[in-house]
Amino acid sequence: MILSIASAAITSAVLSSSSADPIAVATLIKPAIASPELAWAGLILCFPALAAVLCAVCGAMRVKSKLPGMITAIALIAAFVTTLSLYLTCHDGATTTARTIHLFDWITFAWRGESGDWTNFLAPFTLYVDSLTLLWMLFVTGLGSLITIYATEYMEEDQGKGYVRFFGGISVFLFAMGTLVLGGNLLLLYLGWEGVGLASYLLVGYNYDRPSAVAAAKKAFIVNRVGDLGLAFGIFLIWLNYGTIEYDALFQALADTTSSAGTTAANASEWSKAAIPYLLMLGAFGKSAQFPLHVWLPDAMEGPTPVSALIHAATMVTAGVYLIARTYPLFELQPLALPVVACIGCFSALLAASIGMAQYDIKRVMAYSTISQLGYMFLGLGVGSTFGASYHVFTHAFFKALLFLCCGAIMHGMGGQLDLRKLSGLRHVKGFRVTSWTLLIGCICLSGFPFSSGFYSKDTIIGAAFASDDPLFIFLGWVAIVTAGMTAYYAFRVWFRVCCGEVLYEPDLAAHAAPTANDAHGHVAPHDSANSQGGHAAHDFHPHGPRFAINGVLLVIAVGAILAALPSYLAEFAHQQNWIQSMVTDSSAVAGAGSSAHDAHAEHANHALSFTGISDIHTATSVVASAVGILGICIAAFFHLTNRKAADRLRHALLSNALTRWLPLAMENKWYVDEIYHVVLRLPAWAIGHVLHFSDAHVIDGFLVNGTARIPLHVARVFQPLYNGALQGYASTMAGGVALISAWVFWIWLQAG
Amino acid sequence: MNEPMLALASAIPSDMSSKLTLIAPEILLFAGAVAVALLGISRRASLRHAVPLVTALFLAASMVVTAWVYRSDATASSGLMLPMLGGYAKLMIAGIGILLVMVAGSSIDRRLEEAFESGRAEFDPIRVMRGEFFAFFLLSLAGTMLVSNASDLIWLFLALELSSLPTYVMVAVSRGKRKAQEASMKYFFLGALSAATFLYGFALLYGATGTLVFSEMRDVLAMQAATGGVSTLAIVGGVMAILGICFKLAAVPMHFYAPDVYEGAGVATTAFLGFIPKIAGVLALILLLSIFGWSGHSIQVDGQLVSSAGLPAPITAVLWMVAVLTMTLGNVGAILQRNVKRMLAYSSIAQSGYLLIGIIAGPPAGFESLLFYLLGYGLMNTGLLAVLASLERHGEEVETLEDLAGLRVRHPWLAWSMAICAISLIGIPPLVGFFGKLALFGAAIENSQMALVVIAAVNTAISAYYYLQLVGVPMLGQPNARTQAVQLVPDPWPRRAALFCAASILILPFVAERIYSAAAASGKAPTSAKGEASASVEAAARASAQ
Repeated sequence: MILSIASAAITSAVLSSSSADPIAVATLIKPAIASPELAWAGLILCFPALAAVLCAVCGAMRVKSKLPGMITAIALIAAFVTTLSLYLTCHDGATTTARTIHLFDWITFAWRGESGDWTNFLAPFTLYVDSLTLLWMLFVTGLGSLITIYATEYMEEDQGKGYVRFFGGISVFLFAMGTLVLGGNLLLLYLGWEGVGLASYLLVGYNYDRPSAVAAAKKAFIVNRVGDLGLAFGIFLIWLNYGTIEYDALFQALADTTSSAGTTAANASEWSKAAIPYLLMLGAFGKSAQFPLHVWLPDAMEGPTPVSALIHAATMVTAGVYLIARTYPLFELQPLALPVVACIGCFSALLAASIGMAQYDIKRVMAYSTISQLGYMFLGLGVGSTFGASYHVFTHAFFKALLFLCCGAIMHGMGGQLDLRKLSGLRHVKGFRVTSWTLLIGCICLSGFPFSSGFYSKDTIIGAAFASDDPLFIFLGWVAIVTAGMTAYYAFRVWFRVCCGEVLYEPDLAAHAAPTANDAHGHVAPHDSANSQGGHAAHDFHPHGPRFAINGVLLVIAVGAILAALPSYLAEFAHQQNWIQSMVTDSSAVAGAGSSAHDAHAEHANHALSFTGISDIHTATSVVASAVGILGICIAAFFHLTNRKAADRLRHALLSNALTRWLPLAMENKWYVDEIYHVVLRLPAWAIGHVLHFSDAHVIDGFLVNGTARIPLHVARVFQPLYNGALQGYASTMAGGVALISAWVFWIWLQAG
Repeated sequence: MNEPMLALASAIPSDMSSKLTLIAPEILLFAGAVAVALLGISRRASLRHAVPLVTALFLAASMVVTAWVYRSDATASSGLMLPMLGGYAKLMIAGIGILLVMVAGSSIDRRLEEAFESGRAEFDPIRVMRGEFFAFFLLSLAGTMLVSNASDLIWLFLALELSSLPTYVMVAVSRGKRKAQEASMKYFFLGALSAATFLYGFALLYGATGTLVFSEMRDVLAMQAATGGVSTLAIVGGVMAILGICFKLAAVPMHFYAPDVYEGAGVATTAFLGFIPKIAGVLALILLLSIFGWSGHSIQVDGQLVSSAGLPAPITAVLWMVAVLTMTLGNVGAILQRNVKRMLAYSSIAQSGYLLIGIIAGPPAGFESLLFYLLGYGLMNTGLLAVLASLERHGEEVETLEDLAGLRVRHPWLAWSMAICAISLIGIPPLVGFFGKLALFGAAIENSQMALVVIAAVNTAISAYYYLQLVGVPMLGQPNARTQAVQLVPDPWPRRAALFCAASILILPFVAERIYSAAAASGKAPTSAKGEASASVEAAARASAQ
């Protein structure tokens, strides 16, 4: 039903946008300044790379201490400090001019075509530093350092080989993420893109002895491959159409094509130009876990929790948003591209929120919430509010990392227990106070409670959706508001269940039954040796609260999550320009048509929310969205704080009614997307695989390969007498060869006349 | 050398003194050869044992001297066709030479020396061969270096012979086995056959041009090309010379000796044969083809400047044919081998085919990538054979793939070195072999040799089959009773050489740009003065770029 409405709305959007004047890149992106004096910025990439090498050395030397963790933490802090000083250098006053920093020539390739003119393919190792890059790098390195410090305590049970592997992986990840964000051309972005994919694969599969972790790692890698294929093809087509993959040259080429009616660089056909944004989108949806490629992210929670917090919540999954923001001018050239991004984002947000409402594993709730929040970011990009999207990326990085780290702290102390039905009242358990309160801060931000950071960023996006005249975007805005209510519900469902009520906890028996096995989430439970008496370990289970490193990091990130609202406070009360907005406006992510339209319609008298009686669309959105959010919190409080039995009763009532029983089942089973993929994609692939295997074994290997392999053998037999080891044979063959070739040359000579 | 001598050298602007300055590294190696030969027959064991070290020291000294003389003005006044060619080549020869000394180390005469030490045998200067081996080693290197300085056909012929004659002896003494002597005889006779072939070619070239000096021959041939075409005599002479030099490269049709000789020789000598004669061959080809206008040249015809049209078509066709046959036969032959040395012999045949791609592509890109690839190939080939040289089984050389099974378990560093070298030989990024191949293929594409690149790419895919065995068997295979007997040789230097090669293969890509520009500089005119030679490669590069 939702789909049918959405498709109707898309049709209307197509009609309205095609009748309007063609979308043009209104703002030209200024050419970047070559800044060789900033070559020290390369250190941002060098530090994690060095840390990875040192971790490998530690591995080779069989270091059994926390040294690899310390090395990684120090390297990342150094990278953060370097990023900060780069920011202070580049950000003069209000604006940041884009700069390119050429480090070294990486790939330069030139060849002469049939017509004799030269074509080249240049991918120098250049950093492209503008405000968007800096924004991303600041939170990537900042959160990376904090989460690494957290992990030094979290992973302490694995000191030795596992510790080295873990921190080596984190270093590789930070290096790759840095390359992705800082790289000055799409090939470097692709390098980083694959690098973060690799790091994610290695870290999700950290517990390689557990089949579910291996399966999750493979799933993450393979699903991402689909998206990567799109990105690769997108890059190919960009090069074919515009003759360059360097951002700076690409933006200038785009400016040329839009100003001079697009004939200068038209090497390829129109369709290939039109396909570019859709292919890039596919890549972005794969990496950022949007429908239909979202299935890998929840399973990726098999990795250790710091990995989930850093890679699968705060940084790597926002690479898709970065890609679209970076190549925004390409999306603006196609009238349908951004509406598609908005629709997919909004649909993913709704779908994931509905699944998140019905999950019992708190880490899975957070995973679906990540998909949902990423959906908001894509909605923001789609409706032309790159500012909103980037702001949400920024705030989300803090509060989602915080939420995951809280989950990790609970799991660390509770023997791997993550089921919210088996945890209660942690607020009153000694040692878990910091965790409980920081979890509350995270939930408040996630649900967009008024004046929290999530409130500002989310409402910027929803407001932008309502600010347009497009009926499709207004429809998506309503969906986003409903989703905001659902978000508030599942966020507080977790908090009320886990932190409030009477004190109740039991360790994860599955994890504790086997003393040597790692627990369900990649953490060796510390009580294994004490509580290894099989199934009744629960009785003498003593939770242990997190210590200094974990608590300290939780507090710092909680403060960060609160302060992420600061740019908006300053904008609202001190009338300064929003810092994030300034960071986005002078980058390539500036929404040319979108943002100007948005300002023009801000004081629209007769907007979609005019029933609230508030003329300013943003204020109206805020009021409606917070009202829905608070409603969601109230419902959560009713079902999970004051009246916990009611939740089960409701579920039973829904299940017993034949008309409604599909709803909870579908939500708990993730709308059967995995099962559908299994039937539609995996079974045919499996069948084809077996057919191919059969034909490979019998036709290709049996006949063609072995047959072909016999050819050299037969050839060799024919020539065997020549290689008989007899000197005179060799000599006569050589002389014969010389004679043959000389004769052949004579023949050519005669032919040539 | 000090300041007054430099002043003396530049005060006399004659050809001869500049040439003498340029061959100072070779003169040093001659001195080294004498010193090493004398040390080798010394009664004192410590002096005999110092032979490899002294050899390496002379090579290092010749590197220093090379770096110094090629920065002086001698390059400009030498009147050579490619005066800077030696600057890169000699450094490469001496550098890889040091690695080869490390591989050969104490393997020569090892049993004999042990017998002397234990008192089982009396010292006998007739029986010791270490000094002899390293003296010939240095002489061969000197000959190879001299090729790069050749200014006429006589010099080229003598230099080529100097580089090959000592190798026949080296094969014979490399291990005390009849197989080695058989290999040496085959190598000698077939080498003589090839020498006869290229000498015949040289004679025809002399007949066609009436001069022996390269720069004059180049003018004559360019004049012929501009006025009615190069004479048939010169073409046939050129083809014969190229085919004769193919022996040095182990290229079709002169490749037959390679498997037998590489297998028969001791592993250290195999490493030597896989690389040093190839450099001599490549340098000789560069010089020979340059007289046909390969490196670009312009002459005055009726007061007008006419630039050379490049290689005559038949010569290009021969090179093309030889390249394709060489890489294909080499790779197909290697597939069937279980003996690693034999496999590497075929691999070195195939690699010569890739080198010829650079020759066909021509300067500037082909020239630079060729010299770059040579260096990489030298490291990869030496690294692989150094791994074999560091292992023994019941006192015998380790030769078959089965002996290497599960090497990783007992000697992880050696297994890793072998894997890195083999993967680099396939040309997988980010190792040096990949960048070498990329440059070669790129140069060929630039010169519209698409078909050649496609054939080479298919060949690379075929080569993965046997190179990956060198990765898979040591890394993934299981040790068994047979491999239990495989152990390290007492001399640590071969494995150090293997590690060094593997490390360089990993590191070189990071400095590839500098090496590449050094290779490029060796094809250009000297920077210090603009002599007559400056009209060579650089002008051609500019002409072809426009």
